[in-house]
Amino acid sequence: MNIIDVIDRLKTRIGVEGPAVSATVEAGHVKRFVEAIGDPNPRWTAEVPPTFLVALAPAMLHLGDAEEFGRGWLNGGNRFEYFAPVLIGDRITARTHVADVYDKMGATGEMLFIVFETDYVNQHGKTVARLRGTAIRR
Amino acid sequence: MSGVPAVGEEIPQLVKDPTTRQLVQYAGAQGDFYEIHYDQGYARSVGLPGVILHGLLKAAFLGQLVTDWLGDGGKLETFEVSYRGIDVPGRPYLCRGVVKKVDGDHVELEVWGEDADGNRTTIGSASVETTG
Repeated sequence: MNIIDVIDRLKTRIGVEGPAVSATVEAGHVKRFVEAIGDPNPRWTAEVPPTFLVALAPAMLHLGDAEEFGRGWLNGGNRFEYFAPVLIGDRITARTHVADVYDKMGATGEMLFIVFETDYVNQHGKTVARLRGTAIRR
Repeated sequence: MSGVPAVGEEIPQLVKDPTTRQLVQYAGAQGDFYEIHYDQGYARSVGLPGVILHGLLKAAFLGQLVTDWLGDGGKLETFEVSYRGIDVPGRPYLCRGVVKKVDGDHVELEVWGEDADGNRTTIGSASVETTG
């Protein structure tokens, strides 16, 4: 599939928000996560480490259209902004929307970039973090 | 963190030795079951040399680099990473950082991850509040 056609179709999705996802920050999940990343900091028995939110709620809208271009996905980058700590026991609601779609020529050919933005809100209605993620299709 | 950070100062390095087992463990903990992180045949079929580290696992390593240095009192405000190259399990992954700016309690860091050949496969930055 021609990248221009795919991009034109995906561009109409900019601003579209996926369904809100809510999850409770469970001690067992945080423990498995810090074991997996190998970070023994005792601070993570009360609050969550910097990248944990990606494990709590899916930070991506699934854009099937994008898969008509290229062979596979790569993660281009992530930007986290933190406004308040996330503690074990918190109930977090994540809302993700498509922020941008563009293409670029890379060393291995043309690449399609989709930027997602997720806001994480706790049980008190406070936005605790924002994540911007760039997914690459190549 | 010991003492007042100075511009140009390198923060203590963190060495990680990721294994295929760790990638599977991380896939489960994050809930990212994309096959390029544990299925060698699949990874090769999409043009990769074999299974590769999750970008977000490398981000977690760099997050640890920063929070280890920051200690209990500090607060992370922003943390940004950009993945410039792939990394494979079985090779050491070195996390490094340098103080770029100090303004009272506010400190900005440049952080990066290096493969065994010294290539910066992940680059990024962090801004922190060093209280306490």
